[in-house]
Amino acid sequence: MSNTQSSMKPSSEQYFNRELSWLEFNQRVLDVALDESQPLLERLKFLAIAASNLDEFFMVRVGGLQLMSRRDIQRPDPAGMSPHEQLEAIRARVRQMLSDQYECFNKHLEPALREAGIRRAAGAELNENQHRIIFERFEDEFFSVLSPIAVYPGDPVPMLPEPHICLCVRLRSDQAETPYRYCLIPLGTRLPRLLTIPSDSGYEYMLLEDVVARFVERFFPDEQVVETIPFRVTRNADLTVSDEIPADFLAEMEHVLQARKESHCVRLELDSQATATLQGFLADAYEISPADVYPLHGPLDLSELMPIAGIKGFDALTDEPWDSLNSAEVDPSQTLFDQLAQKDILLVHPYESFDPVVRLIEEAAQDPDVLSIKQTLYRTSSSSPIVAALMRAATSGKYVTVIVELKARFDEARNIEWAKQLEREGVNVIYGVRGLKTHAKCCVIVRQESQGIRRYVHFGTGNYNERTARLYSDVSYMTSDLDLGADAVMFFNAITGHSQPQPYHRIESAPLGLKSRLLEMIDVEIDQASRGENAFINGKVNSLVDPEVIDALYRASQAGVKVRLNIRGICCLRPGVEGLSENIEVTSIIDRYLEHARIVHFHHGGDDRVFISSADWMPRNLDRRIELLVPVDHEPCKSRLIQVLETYFRDTAKAKRLMPDGSYQSLDTGGESFRSQEFFYQDVKARTKDQQKQQMSVFQPLKSPV
Amino acid sequence: MTTEPSQSVRRVAAIEIGTTSLRMAIAEGTPDGTIRPLEKLVKSVAIGEDTYSIGRISRETIELCVKVLRTYQEKLREYRLDDPHNVRVVATSAVREAENTLAFVDRIYIATGWEVEVLDVAELHRVIYQGVQTWRELIPGLAHDRWVIAEVGGGNTEFLLMEHGEILSSHAVRLGSLRLRSLLTIYNAPESRWPELLHSHARRALSENRLAQERGQPVKLLALGGEMRFLAEKLRDDDPHTAVRIEFDQLRQFTDRVLGMNVDELVREFHIPLPDAEMMGPALVANLELAKALNADSVHVLPATLRDGLLRELIDQDVWSDELVSQIIRSAIDVGRKFQFDEAHATHVARLAKILFNQLDSFHGLDRRYELLLVLAALLHEIGLFIGTSSYHKHSMYLISNSDLFGLSRRQLMLIASVARYHRRTSPKPTHTGFSNLARDDRVAVIKMAAILRVALALDGSRNQRIHEVECKIDKQQLVITVPDHSDLSMEQLAMRQIGGLFEETFGLPILLRGKRRDSLRR
Repeated sequence: MSNTQSSMKPSSEQYFNRELSWLEFNQRVLDVALDESQPLLERLKFLAIAASNLDEFFMVRVGGLQLMSRRDIQRPDPAGMSPHEQLEAIRARVRQMLSDQYECFNKHLEPALREAGIRRAAGAELNENQHRIIFERFEDEFFSVLSPIAVYPGDPVPMLPEPHICLCVRLRSDQAETPYRYCLIPLGTRLPRLLTIPSDSGYEYMLLEDVVARFVERFFPDEQVVETIPFRVTRNADLTVSDEIPADFLAEMEHVLQARKESHCVRLELDSQATATLQGFLADAYEISPADVYPLHGPLDLSELMPIAGIKGFDALTDEPWDSLNSAEVDPSQTLFDQLAQKDILLVHPYESFDPVVRLIEEAAQDPDVLSIKQTLYRTSSSSPIVAALMRAATSGKYVTVIVELKARFDEARNIEWAKQLEREGVNVIYGVRGLKTHAKCCVIVRQESQGIRRYVHFGTGNYNERTARLYSDVSYMTSDLDLGADAVMFFNAITGHSQPQPYHRIESAPLGLKSRLLEMIDVEIDQASRGENAFINGKVNSLVDPEVIDALYRASQAGVKVRLNIRGICCLRPGVEGLSENIEVTSIIDRYLEHARIVHFHHGGDDRVFISSADWMPRNLDRRIELLVPVDHEPCKSRLIQVLETYFRDTAKAKRLMPDGSYQSLDTGGESFRSQEFFYQDVKARTKDQQKQQMSVFQPLKSPV
Repeated sequence: MTTEPSQSVRRVAAIEIGTTSLRMAIAEGTPDGTIRPLEKLVKSVAIGEDTYSIGRISRETIELCVKVLRTYQEKLREYRLDDPHNVRVVATSAVREAENTLAFVDRIYIATGWEVEVLDVAELHRVIYQGVQTWRELIPGLAHDRWVIAEVGGGNTEFLLMEHGEILSSHAVRLGSLRLRSLLTIYNAPESRWPELLHSHARRALSENRLAQERGQPVKLLALGGEMRFLAEKLRDDDPHTAVRIEFDQLRQFTDRVLGMNVDELVREFHIPLPDAEMMGPALVANLELAKALNADSVHVLPATLRDGLLRELIDQDVWSDELVSQIIRSAIDVGRKFQFDEAHATHVARLAKILFNQLDSFHGLDRRYELLLVLAALLHEIGLFIGTSSYHKHSMYLISNSDLFGLSRRQLMLIASVARYHRRTSPKPTHTGFSNLARDDRVAVIKMAAILRVALALDGSRNQRIHEVECKIDKQQLVITVPDHSDLSMEQLAMRQIGGLFEETFGLPILLRGKRRDSLRR
């Protein structure tokens, strides 16, 4: 066991800065939009995703750095950069990214879209009919809803709730000392950003801000409008719930939602056509330094173009659909309880459908022998069939306990609503654990059988959300293993406060033992390698930030352990540096589905230890969240997981390699390339076909369903 | 459509109100003896901190216990475990030694409906023994060598001395982790001196104990208790169901390491709750000093806990195993020998009493647990002769009630003592204090057992153990006891008349003792 603290000094030689690494990740998302081999609407989708990611980055990460920088806090990050240095680097990188983004949109995507029949009208080129229709719409719908707010220099500006677009109108004033006055027109959340306009062919639309700008004089009948500029302000969202004992946790969260509106502004984006006068006015009004003002050469908030990527009738411009298929491991004619009593089931989503997980909970809700169901819910919706099944189970007298995490970023409002609904139905709802975000994904069903109590457990790497389960690559593991069942029950006893945490049989949970278990497993490999034995670590996580884990991996590399990592997002580890990390290889895959599964495989002297986890290797996950690390020991699930990991490392089509200098290089050599996501899809399809063939060769008598 | 758990599977729960925590174990068991644990819960409540500092359990602590027990109750409802016969709630030394034990027990009863059994020392030893028995196959040597089984608790350390699988004696010493810990607070000693203080106090506590006599004899040490299990956990490989042998040096090194850390460091390093961290050092010191006192070069650790013993007894529905019964009988014989009893007579009467008890079971209506009490009373009824012949039955009574018979509760001991008290002379009277203090069911049981004991005594009226078999039959409003192979029973018949009317008063039947010649002779 090694307890060595991070002995290395902060330095950019050792670590990449996490914010810059994140920006590189977002660049890789943007690269998909720039990739001409991609279907046009997919490119638009990735452009929108990159924009949306960047918004979240500013809301969550940049605000904190600005606060530290303003208070002149010098504390450097592991890469040795002060908050101020980080901000400088971020701004420069973001400006470059925005320039790439708008060049992509203006020079490539928009012309190509126009060509394909998807046209954005700015206003001037409208024909008479179109003009009449949008004018009517403005008069009937928008004029009464929108209300300009006059703002005078030195007065407080209105706090706009979310980063929504707003128009700033500069009007000529008749007073001598102030030649202009300003009005803001918040466009709000209720009006659609994209307005469809009649078109002879294809799809034509206008952006809301362009429509309003076109008729803006209607608000100021007797005044002269000098300029009308759309802008957007982003606020800091990094508010942690206070650690004071809340009288009512729910009320606390509602309070946070309120507080978010009042936190400081981190960024001002506005149309680049704005005059310096107007830009200065807005920057002053929102107390934003010029360094945080971003003039944009095109529409603001490109993330809102996402609906266009999904419009019907342009199938040729999108990827051919890959359906989620039913896993060959799951027999639709048998209950999952019966199947899990025989074997464990591993599902690889979204290639394999998430339905069996939903079905397990639905079966549990109906089964008269089920005594209780416990489950974590992180991001889900009230329309979710899982939530519906849990309510049904509660009304039929089962003990249903749900750990609802209210701190799921930006989802609080939605979470509170369905959590209250669950409570009304008799579900015992626990609103998380004080000070820790519950990020683990686990469900345990306790069932009374003739041989005694049996537990059925689902462990996942993704949330219990059928929608994201179709878009995220995740792993589900279902089992009735005795130890894992007992561990799952202990886990719930610990987080519901029924018991103090006790040592688990097989799993580990953060913030208690997960990280030390990881470090121990790494140490075993180091030990093996130092004795000249074969040793390797293959891992897949979304982010690697934790300096202790990184240092352990460096030590592993130095001892001769082969380390291969597939890390979609942030990676602060610097791979491939002689004497530091020459045995570490890091790749990242950005493809159709969001890579989300966390899997790690240790050679462990040949007996292969494989784990799935809800945790990324970041301090926030390992030290400040409730997460799980679950061993998958049962064959054939273990072999399947190993094969899944290996498949990711074979990718040359969508994988990029992290270089020692922090750049990412394509692995595509122009020759025959291998695309892991496509392989998974084809592989699952083939397995399902085989299964169907086998079923065709045996006649199955239908049994009475009752 | 619901599958009721089949008859063979029973779900039970044992709750232990200990010195530092409230623990619950839920399990299911089959009659073939296997117990499958379902859940284990633990919540720290420092009851002992109250008892060992202010002598009583504070109101806040009581309410904290109520709160925890209510969450346990909720958990039990999840398992549909609402039959009180399947739940046992016991309390150990911190509750027993508090001034307000009754108030505590009553408050729990009012809040939860649970009757808390406050375990006596001897009962605690029985439950520890039962717990160890559950895991005994992990240490084959347990059945042979000489062993000290010790559990360092919060308040006391309990010892069982066992040889060839037989309990030779059991004791409790006032040495516990919480007692040690509060000592540090009382002395207000600087932290640097803590290790030294702990060691010296533990040494002193142990030297006053009878166990010190064991010094020199080669003995193996089996240590129970959470701290030793924790250390064993750290030392053994993956399989949790194994016994671990900890070398003395390993124990010493670990103890030193723990003593060198403050509580916060312990919590961080070992991921244990704060109250456990506070107990860790003192408990390890106590174990280490114990090993030293016994000259043990290693300590064996089993996964056994008190809850295992409690669950065992729940699953067995308090029908004690033959093994446990013979442990208890052996300890009664030891007591008898101490008072120089007529062993041949006593054991013979015990045998006869057992035969009568079984043949008359539909008649007296007492369940199996009373058989053992009757047998013990029969074994010890005459030990009062050691004091003097006059009214020796009264001497027997107080000797028994103050003896340390293995595994019995105070109440059971009182029953045995009373049965011995009424084996001769007067029938019980309301003026007899010991008797009138018993609950009604217990009074009835005492009368019935005493009546049976008197018959058994009459049957060995010759004191030469010549009658080995009897046949009881109720015939024409009398109990006919036929003795095969004997025609002359005049001595026994005389004795039967001398035992007085207790049997007839109790059961409403006179006794007719009848001999029966061997069939072969009748030809």
